[in-house]
Amino acid sequence: MTVTTAEPRTLAETALPVPPRPSRLWPTLIATAVGVIILASGAGLQISWAELPTLPAKVAEYLRLMFAAPNWEKLPRALEETWRSISMAWIGAILCVVISIPLGILAANGVGPRWLRTILRGMFAVIRAVPEVIIALVLLTVTGLTPLTGALALGIAGIGTQGKWVYETIESTRSGATEAVRAAGGTTAQVARWALWPAAAPSLMSFALYRFEINIRTSAVLGLVGAGGIGSMLSNYTNFREWDTVGMLLIVVVAATMLMDAISGAIRRRIMEGARSRGLGRNS
Amino acid sequence: MSTASTLAVPVRPTHRARTAAIVAAFAAFTVATCLPAIGGIELDLAALVRNWQNGVDKLLQLLQPNFAFFPRTVAPMLETLQMALVGAAGAAAVSVPLTLWAAKVTNQNAIGRSIVRTAVNVVRAVPDLVYATVLVAMVGVGALPGVLTLFLFNIGIIVKLVSEAIDSADHGYMEAGRAAGGTQLQINRVTALPQTWPLFANQWLYVLELNVRISAILGLVGAGGIGRILDERRAFYAYDDVSLIILEILVVVIVIEVFSNMLRRRLA
Repeated sequence: MTVTTAEPRTLAETALPVPPRPSRLWPTLIATAVGVIILASGAGLQISWAELPTLPAKVAEYLRLMFAAPNWEKLPRALEETWRSISMAWIGAILCVVISIPLGILAANGVGPRWLRTILRGMFAVIRAVPEVIIALVLLTVTGLTPLTGALALGIAGIGTQGKWVYETIESTRSGATEAVRAAGGTTAQVARWALWPAAAPSLMSFALYRFEINIRTSAVLGLVGAGGIGSMLSNYTNFREWDTVGMLLIVVVAATMLMDAISGAIRRRIMEGARSRGLGRNS
Repeated sequence: MSTASTLAVPVRPTHRARTAAIVAAFAAFTVATCLPAIGGIELDLAALVRNWQNGVDKLLQLLQPNFAFFPRTVAPMLETLQMALVGAAGAAAVSVPLTLWAAKVTNQNAIGRSIVRTAVNVVRAVPDLVYATVLVAMVGVGALPGVLTLFLFNIGIIVKLVSEAIDSADHGYMEAGRAAGGTQLQINRVTALPQTWPLFANQWLYVLELNVRISAILGLVGAGGIGRILDERRAFYAYDDVSLIILEILVVVIVIEVFSNMLRRRLA
């Protein structure tokens, strides 16, 4: 047996080596690159940035024109148009939800066959990418310049996002109940009814109301392309440069949107809290 | 032991009255939205049956994109992307202090908090194209109203979502900072911000995605970008060109989505 001679060691040898400070090179480089791209984009836009300082004064002047003395004479018509927008949003939301729940369930992992899942998810992605205004423009040729066009456009355009939410919700439910129904010999329809629906229903209903809230905002947008509702009225009076009426319309739009948000939000919270107390809520 | 003390199975609770009331309210609202007499929408299904051929014709035309039109769409598409990026970057910069002012744990001053929150809620309640329409009338046609629209729209989203996330997060660190005698500014600087960066980054990427989608249509009201050329071709009934533009928007949106999902996974 060879005995190694124990040589005395210096402190520097025995101590654990201090790891080198992590390099800040890459984060710095990436941040610089992003900054350069943003600045280049800003410079590339045909905006005379030198005029920007005069902008606040200009905007303040228009705000004064709009809100100093809003023209309340047209209020009754504005309220009627708002109701039309809300109707559009509601019918659109119902249409969207009725279509997207079955399709979304089929598109979830472990429910429908693989080929169907791929097709449905592809379809959702394509619809998500097409702006609702474009869908409205195609529909205009079928139903004309009516609120029905707006409702249909909202219904179809929402399927993309709504379908995605549905299959994500279904996938985030625990798989135990599904497996139990399958083990008992249940068909896909029976799995959907007895395992997925009870667990996912509160989230799905909450998402349906959320769709209504989104639609209220979007319906004003569709009005701008002629689908009727408050958006059409706003677009007209902006073109006429009747700023006092535009101011009144903006107040109505903001008030109506916030009111509907508050109502729908309260119902949603009630649905989700009821669900949580039964232990079915989604932790979001 | 009398039988009276045995446990009785409680009656299964029924919500029949409540369910009926909910269904009735739902049905009443739905019917009310379909009455043209009071301003609801007219469900003219006959028109659908009569004119469905028109829609099919348009769709068939839209299925034949005119790729020869591509060179003319490059510059507007670039403008759209630039607008999306500048709008998101501006909103990102402004959103940080606003968010910290709007969350309860990072701003103890109830009055300041409610002012910021109300302002953000009002900003959020105005739809994107409405901003664009009004701003185009104010500052003229071009990219500037587009960028401003995206900026305002993004601030609303980022501040609301991130400040709610801060409020619902675990506040242990911040309480530790307060216990150590830190001022609110110090607490925010060393505890709230480092914890919140990933949330911010997530929302910034999200609004960038949204912006590409929205700036595609901002041009419809004159706010620059690909939407302007889309509107122009549509006015000429050049549906093959329109179809190419939609296809491009689709590709760009999907590329941005994939890219930002990748980034998000790295950040998580």
